[in-house]
Amino acid sequence: MIRRALLIAIALCTSVPDVGRAQQVHVLVVTGLSGEPQYRAPFLQAAAMLADSARKRWGVADSSLIVLGEDPAADPAHITGRSTRAEVAQAFLRLSRRVAPGDVLLVFLNGHGAGERALSRVNLPGPDPTAADYATWLSGFARQTVVFVNAASGSGDFVPVIAGKGRVVVTATKTGIERNESIFARPFVRGLTGTEADADKDGRVSVFEAFDFARKEVARAYEADKKMLTEHAVLSDSVLARTVSFGEPRGGADPRIALLLAERQELEWKVAALRSQKAMTDSTLYERELERLLLLLAEKSQAIRAAERRP
Amino acid sequence: MTTALRGSLVFVAAVALGGWQQAPDPRAQVRALTDAGRLDEAERLARGGGAGLAESLGEVLVVRGRLAEADSVLRVAIGRDAVGGRSAEAALAELALRRGDRVEALRRAGALTSAYELRKTRWSSDDLVAVGRAYVVLGTRSASAVKQALTAFDAAVAANAENLEARLRAGELLLEKYNAPDAKVSFEEVLKRVPEHPRALLGLARVAQFEGKPDPMPLLQRSLTANSSLADAQVMLSRLHLEAEQYDSARIDARRALEVDSSSLPAWSLIGAAARMTGDSAEYNRALAAARRLNSMPADFYAELADAFVRQRRYAEGMRLARVALAVDSTSARVLGLLGNNELRAGNIEEGRGLLERAFVIDPFNLWHKNTLDMLDNLRAFSTIDRGHFRIVSPAKEADLLTTYLAPLLAEAYDSLASRYHYQPSGLVRLELYRQHADFSVRTVGLSGLGALGVSFGPVLIMDAPSARPRGEFNWGAVAWHELAHTFTLGLSENRAPRWLSEGLSVLEERRARSAWGADVTVEFLAAYTGGRLRPVSQLNEGFVRPRFENEVILSYYEASLVCEMIEAQKGADALVGMLTAYRDGFDTPAVFARVLGAKPKEFDQHFDTWLRAKFAGPLRAILPSDGKSAPGGAFVSAMSAGIALIEQKQLDSARAVLLRAQALFPEYSGQGAPAIFLAQLASDRGDLGEALAQVQRVTTRNETAWDANLLEAGLRERLGDSLGARAPLERLLWISPYDIPLHVRIAELAVRAGDRVLEVRERRAVVALDPPDPLDAHYQLARALARSGDVAGARKELLRVLEQAPAFEKAQILLLELSNRIAPGAKP
Repeated sequence: MIRRALLIAIALCTSVPDVGRAQQVHVLVVTGLSGEPQYRAPFLQAAAMLADSARKRWGVADSSLIVLGEDPAADPAHITGRSTRAEVAQAFLRLSRRVAPGDVLLVFLNGHGAGERALSRVNLPGPDPTAADYATWLSGFARQTVVFVNAASGSGDFVPVIAGKGRVVVTATKTGIERNESIFARPFVRGLTGTEADADKDGRVSVFEAFDFARKEVARAYEADKKMLTEHAVLSDSVLARTVSFGEPRGGADPRIALLLAERQELEWKVAALRSQKAMTDSTLYERELERLLLLLAEKSQAIRAAERRP
Repeated sequence: MTTALRGSLVFVAAVALGGWQQAPDPRAQVRALTDAGRLDEAERLARGGGAGLAESLGEVLVVRGRLAEADSVLRVAIGRDAVGGRSAEAALAELALRRGDRVEALRRAGALTSAYELRKTRWSSDDLVAVGRAYVVLGTRSASAVKQALTAFDAAVAANAENLEARLRAGELLLEKYNAPDAKVSFEEVLKRVPEHPRALLGLARVAQFEGKPDPMPLLQRSLTANSSLADAQVMLSRLHLEAEQYDSARIDARRALEVDSSSLPAWSLIGAAARMTGDSAEYNRALAAARRLNSMPADFYAELADAFVRQRRYAEGMRLARVALAVDSTSARVLGLLGNNELRAGNIEEGRGLLERAFVIDPFNLWHKNTLDMLDNLRAFSTIDRGHFRIVSPAKEADLLTTYLAPLLAEAYDSLASRYHYQPSGLVRLELYRQHADFSVRTVGLSGLGALGVSFGPVLIMDAPSARPRGEFNWGAVAWHELAHTFTLGLSENRAPRWLSEGLSVLEERRARSAWGADVTVEFLAAYTGGRLRPVSQLNEGFVRPRFENEVILSYYEASLVCEMIEAQKGADALVGMLTAYRDGFDTPAVFARVLGAKPKEFDQHFDTWLRAKFAGPLRAILPSDGKSAPGGAFVSAMSAGIALIEQKQLDSARAVLLRAQALFPEYSGQGAPAIFLAQLASDRGDLGEALAQVQRVTTRNETAWDANLLEAGLRERLGDSLGARAPLERLLWISPYDIPLHVRIAELAVRAGDRVLEVRERRAVVALDPPDPLDAHYQLARALARSGDVAGARKELLRVLEQAPAFEKAQILLLELSNRIAPGAKP
């Protein structure tokens, strides 16, 4: 019994930020200059998708959601301000006042970029902030987990400038030299806001899952067009990226549901343990045990749904 | 004075002026006369020069095929240490090689090159050419000698930039070693100095043929105009005629070559090939005997025959002859390569690989062999799936997807064709698909750049996978059907059917298989036909093997299919079978036409012309003949231009009226920019869905690559409430491209509505095979489809695979619970 209790405790700890904590997510979306008309709609669409998901699926409060764009009038339902250097700086300042320790900050930059180490930038209306500026603004989030995504072309040089403890940096390109138009933003946003990228099907999409999904979709698109891949996305910390996920808030205060969730987590570990022994286990025995555990898991999920009054 | 003679004189003068700035050199004069084909004069001049011109006389005698006499004279040239002694030595080495005395050839060549390597100074430009020739002889066994030969020729040019022989020899060697661009430069350098030099023109003709240019004939004709006695040019002409199945012409050309050079082994080989192909055993034996007299090991005679048979698609006979050639000379790279490639064409991959590897060791310059060996390395990673009569070999990544669709299609085609042609191939038919068109091309011809989509070697079919080309460029189902039809028509005729007939039947079979498949009538075809740019039936083969303009091959396919269509309509389907069996039995085209069609070729040409003009009488009134120099014109083209302009001006009602008029002028047209495409869109935009559907069907039922039109038809049918009717256009789309995941999902959902469980499972399997962005969900959807189809075990297997990876996947958990409740307790694992 003690052993079981310990397992549950570990489960609760490792499930952070998914289970049983009032962890908040804060989102800043910055879209730069579109330049040519064909980029305008995709930029707007990416920002809108992120804003909608943040609000409707991730439970982000309006005060923790800032969407800055080239032209706020282009999508007043989503864009809250103009994406000038001053507005961006102000946004970081505002959010730094709202965050609590352990919260997650998602920063998403999209547009046309240029790489020049610390002076790398994404083109915004007016003077462009540099990677070093973003690093400075992020210093106010030392006790939070920061997910910093730069989906612009030539964004690779942001990684060494922004990366650090408690930070996951995602860039659309490996270096600043990869300056061609990047298509990374679209699948990344699609992955983060939908269900396709949810590889473990736990109902939430981790940053790693969204990144992996987008990377594969970019490769697929280039292959379909019979073009050489000219953008290679980068993820700075794949371990941390697996623990930060976005999706429906789970659990809540009901201790009965928390217990069921913990029991289900225990079953999932058992499945994982069994899988690790697959090569050394008789295949028939393996299949039988796997199915037994999976049926128990399914029944546990059924019980959780019943307790949550979900179908 | 004839033009040819005048040309020759100019040529001689040019050489004399260009090569010898000071006093005329009698050796140069002999060479110039020889190159101009004035062999009597050349010989007379050489004989008059005594020992000093012995070498020149020997070279003239070689050109005239009097090899024994040449040998004696050349020995004199060496013995007296006369001028040109080194050239004589090289010529003697070449002669030894020609008669199959390899030991003597290598000894003489080796002696000359050793002398050169010992002391490289004081070698004249002509001497350096001689050294280069000696290295060429050594190059039959040593790759490094080939490079040294080129170096020697370069040195000869450096010593005397006007040494045309050095440039010509370099060009010929470069081309022999597959370096066409550099060979071309060498020949062009010669032509800069002597504009109509016959050997340089011949060289360029061979370069053009090597590079797959449409027609090397004009260059070849220019060469023969400058020197009608150039035996090598007559040989090339003979080979081209043989390839076009014009056996009489091939024989005449080869005999012309022999009139000049009675010891030309290639000429005897071509006579032998033509004789063997037409069943003239007496002449074949005469040619063989002549070849044996010339060369004790006439491997090249058999190799030439083997090559000719392969070019006629008579692969089995080609292989037999290549094996004979190999038995005669097991060290010939040409023969090893020939047999190796034919083993590959027969599907004997490992045997072919082994032979090509041996060939490549001997001749590492051979680009074909290198490319093919590289391609075979890639082939090792391919997946092989046997289904019924077929072995499908495809890239592992696409194997499941492609086989899902191909296997039933091929089975359907096999049954249909076996029934029509009363023939069944023995053993499995092998179909290889390539994701890279370059790999397909290398597999087929050893080089990249082949324009075809598929090729049939009888029981071995090679084709582009649908991923090899952008969507909408071809219909992969139609191509597979087309190539398989060849298996039957070639098989029934024992590979003797002429190309036009086999291709015509394959296109006809495509159309028979699906209404949209196969070539269809176009403005370009009708304009070219009435413009006299396409060949009559009796010469249609040349439209395939010697096209005169870029699209002639494509248009000839369609023309050939119309010929077959007419024969079937007028004489019945058995007439086509009768033609194939008549060719199999050895009858030539006039005899086949007489026996089966009851007409002489010229009469039949006229008959077809009348039929075609009647069939397309309406469109022909609206399309003007075209000489190919300007875009086709006529009332139809004008109406289309006006209609499109009116659409751009937003005058949609007027546009519709004009486009309807265009459609009335050429109702059959369904290709790019057809009136129906615009009319369908106009109708759809104004909400007249019924009219839109009627119009778009005019395209989808006749155009095999109409992606957008089929999508439009499917959408229209769904909007009209005929969601089940959307299945046909959606299925057609799969043969244009099977890689569109939403398309498969759409068909799967349609199948659910129709209660077609088999279709649903097929489509869900296709989604899984496409490695979708969300693979676990795809497997889950497949499990659902399997469960619905009653395959609970299959569904549970899929689910376990999914949940093993993602135990928290709730939808899958729910289905697993549902399935476990369906299974009786005793059956539970």
